[in-house]
This record gives sequence, C-alpha cells and structure tokens, in this order.
Amino acid sequence: MNGAPFSFLRLGLVAQNTLREAVRQRLLHLFVGLALALVLGARGLQDFNFGAPELKFIADCGFGAMTLFGSTLTIAATAQLFFSEIENRTALTLLAKPVWRAEFLLGKLVGVALLTALFCALLTGLLAAVLWVREGELMALDPEGFRGGRAVSYAMVALGGWLQWLRLVVLAAFTLLVASFARTQVFAVVCGFGVLVICHLQHLAQEAYTRAGSAVGAALGGLFGGMFPNFQMLSLADSLAAADLPAPGTWLRLTAYGLGWALAAGLLAILSFRRREI
Amino acid sequence: MAPALEARGLVKDFPVGLRGVRLRAVDHLDLTVRAGVIYGLLGPNGSGKSTTIKALLGLVLPSAGECRIFGRPSGEVAARRDVGYLPEAPYFYRHLTGRELVGFYGRLCGLGRRELAGRVETVVAQVGMTAAADRAVETYSKGMLQRIGLAQALVHDPRLLILDEPTAGVDPVGSAAMADLIRGLRDAGKTVLLTSHLLGQMEALCDRVAILAGGRLVAEGTVADLAGGTGRQQLEVDRLDEAQVTELRAWLAARGRGLHGVAAAGRGLDAVFLERVGRGKGEGTEA
Repeated sequence: MNGAPFSFLRLGLVAQNTLREAVRQRLLHLFVGLALALVLGARGLQDFNFGAPELKFIADCGFGAMTLFGSTLTIAATAQLFFSEIENRTALTLLAKPVWRAEFLLGKLVGVALLTALFCALLTGLLAAVLWVREGELMALDPEGFRGGRAVSYAMVALGGWLQWLRLVVLAAFTLLVASFARTQVFAVVCGFGVLVICHLQHLAQEAYTRAGSAVGAALGGLFGGMFPNFQMLSLADSLAAADLPAPGTWLRLTAYGLGWALAAGLLAILSFRRREI
Repeated sequence: MAPALEARGLVKDFPVGLRGVRLRAVDHLDLTVRAGVIYGLLGPNGSGKSTTIKALLGLVLPSAGECRIFGRPSGEVAARRDVGYLPEAPYFYRHLTGRELVGFYGRLCGLGRRELAGRVETVVAQVGMTAAADRAVETYSKGMLQRIGLAQALVHDPRLLILDEPTAGVDPVGSAAMADLIRGLRDAGKTVLLTSHLLGQMEALCDRVAILAGGRLVAEGTVADLAGGTGRQQLEVDRLDEAQVTELRAWLAARGRGLHGVAAAGRGLDAVFLERVGRGKGEGTEA
C-alpha cells in the first residue's frame, strides 16, 4: 500500500495555481486582445464576405478568431506552463511534497482547460452580443426579412463555443503529452502545431486516399485516424439556424468524443512523465 | 527505530549523447542518517550531492540500489509526508505572496484550512519573514527566497529536513540566523540533512558528515573523528613576548613536546561583522 491515495484536492490546487500563473502571462493578453479585436471588428470586414450573409460572416469571423488565436494560445500556454516548472525547478519543490506526478500533470492540464474555457466563454459571449446587436439593427431596417423573429440561434452559437473549447482541451492534452518527454519547449510547440494540422486535415487526407483507392494510403489514413482525433467532428454545421441545432444526444456524444481523446492523451502523458528525471 | 534516511548500494547513471554512453553520478553509495542529528553532505561541485538528494527524495530513479525515508521506500509518495525540502537556489511562483506560497505548499501536504493559517504564521515568523510575508515573491532578494523556502519546507512540521545549500547567497547575518534555526530544529528533535560549501559553518553545525567525491563516499563520521585526530592541541594564552615564547618552547622540549606555531588570535571577520551589523539587522531580518 502506498498510503497516499490520488487526491483531487491536490490536483485542484495545482490547476488553480496554473491558472493564476497563466492569466498573468503577457502572451495571453496579446492573443485575447487580438481575438476580441477581430470579433468586434468583424462588421468592418464585411467587404470581404465572399457573398455570405452578414450575420453568418460575423459568426464565421468570431469562430475563426477563436480557432486561430485559441489554438496558438493553447499550444504556447501548455508548453510554457509545463516547461517553466521544469526549468525554474518549481516542479522539484512541488514533487518533493506528497504529490503524485499524475496529480501534477493532470493539474496542469485542468489549469490550461480552465484558461481556454475562460477564453472561449469570453469570445462566445462577445460574439453573441455583436450578433444580437447587429441582428436587432437589421430587423429594424428590414422587418419583412425577419417576419419569423430572430434568425440566429444563440444556442447554436453557444454550442459553437463549447465545441471550440473541446478542441482546445484535446490540443492542450496532446501538447502536454509531447512536453512530458520533450527536452525543449520549442519541440513541444512545433509538435503541438503539427497535431493541430493533422487533426484539422486528416478527414481530407482520408477522403483523398479513399478516392484514389490506394491500399497504402488507406492504411496511412486509418493509422492517423486511430492516433489523432478528427476536429471536423467538433465543428458546427454551416448554419446558425435553430432548425439545424443538433439534438442533446449529439451534444453529449461530441462532448464524450472530445473529452475521451483529451483523457487518453492525458493518461499517456502521465505514463511518459512517470519516469522522467526532474 | 528506522533511520531517518538510508541509501543502500545507490547507483545513478545518466545517459550522455546518442551513443548510449553513461555518466555515473553516484557510485555504490551506502549512507545512514539516524534520527535527531544534523548530518552534513560535503563534496566538490559534481560530486553527486544533489543527485543523491534527488534519489533520496524519489525525484530520480536509482539505476541500482535503494533509498528509504524512515523505513519507507523513497519512491512512495507517502514517504515524503515526513520530509521538508529546500532546493539549491530555490525559485518559487513569482505571482504568489510569501504567505500564499507557504499556504499553497501546506495545503499540498494535506493541512486543513484552520490548521494551515496557524502553521503559516508560525513558520513565517520562525524564519523572520512576517513583515515581508504579504509581498509578492518576485520582489524578494536571494536571502529572502532562501528563508521563505525554509518556511515552505517546515510548514507541515516534517520530521526530516533536507536543505541543499541553505545559506547560498545569504549575508553573514542571515547565515548565522539560519545556523541558529537549524540548531533549534535539531534541538526540537528534527533530523536535518544539509549540504554546503561553507566548511567552517558545516564544522560548527553538523553532528556527522559524509564527504563525496566522484559519486563515491570517501569519508564518513563525526566532525571530531574526521577533523580531529592530529594528536595536537591549541592553547589560547595572553600575548607572550619573544623571550617568553623561547622559554615556553624550551619548557615543552624538556617534556618531549614541540611548539608548532605561534599566531595572534583574531576574532575572525564573521564575529566582527556580526558585532558591527548586529545579529538582528541583516537584510529583511526581524529582530
């Protein structure tokens, strides 16, 4: 018997401390500022809407900002918060206490997950506010066009923010997995972006391999499909209408898919970190 | 009663480069630290002191051998409940205040909120940091970091303290205060494992010492055993003039003894510094 069972309290303490450290980082302020500017400035970019309806364009801009800056923030923050513990030797003091390495690592992951939750909640809230105001203006200008009431489903906007957060949590878990064995922060960051690209594009590769009928290609596609999540699964349908809102069962299934992948990557990170020399 | 610390046949190799070459940092080390003593671990840079400490704390896995803390394998998380550790040149979370930092580590060690507040106050006062406890750690000097580091090591009232260079970067006043504190801990029944390059301080503080070189134990014993044993004595007398010294030499020679050296006895720079600056007036020190 080890006599010191796994403690969610200690995990929570590490997570809380990670979040406190993260929100003080200038990099975070920069990315949040850029993302907020993009969401708020979406109306000013309407000339580049490529024919999409205005409200849809604003929503795409908002979710695009979340993807771009959220992913960059997640990868940079995860690698930075992990390596600062190793390089500054704060991990040495912490792990000399009765703390499991799993508590430390999962605490880091939960801390980053809370950070990305704040980021997504802030941007989703702002996006919803921008859409609400603009929709109100359009309704006043063209009452006939909105005879059936508001066109935007704000539940759909919330779901978009939720799915975005799930993607960022998965990305954080994969970055942490790489960091758990990487010797340098740069390596973890580069691999994090590699994972992001694979997760976003693997469905295209699989389709291309299937069309080409290549056995090797199909095997490769299957391999990547088994090793990395498909972020296309965690994307909204190309509509903000209430009629297209997925059933609650689908929300739950997608949540289980995202959190399942994050948990799997987190467990692999614990295995890898177990024997790392601090 | 189990020893506070025990290493048996401890070996630690580190891989170097891609060709599988291994660097042996600790080489078949046997060490026993019994409870209630101040034990010094000495050695030049690269002699394996820090690696030994990490292995004793379960922070690195031994390549061979085993380490125990109060009889428990040091790889067990529960074994670390009885240990307080101050690393060399400690660096802490800069955004926390000293009080928050000590509280954070206290909660990690399982102290409840009510018990924690009292313990934090006690240990912060013990290391003389009450006045600076609500300042952010990023504003602390090296000496203050060492002292708040000692407070976090003490917060859960462990039976064993492992202090890696606790006086590095600390001014002489702070260093003397730290030495007093370490003696006080031993008197309160704690075991202290200490490393330092300040051999004079180690000699004055430690009950036993071990000397490492190249990862091997080259000497171990009480300070008196290791540093004494020359068969000579030092006598401190009032100043003698040249004729009196000659007379004394002759008196000793008649008895088969030699006079091997005559030197003016100084108080030492440490004593002068402490007298002029005052023990309670070092950087951030509270009287």
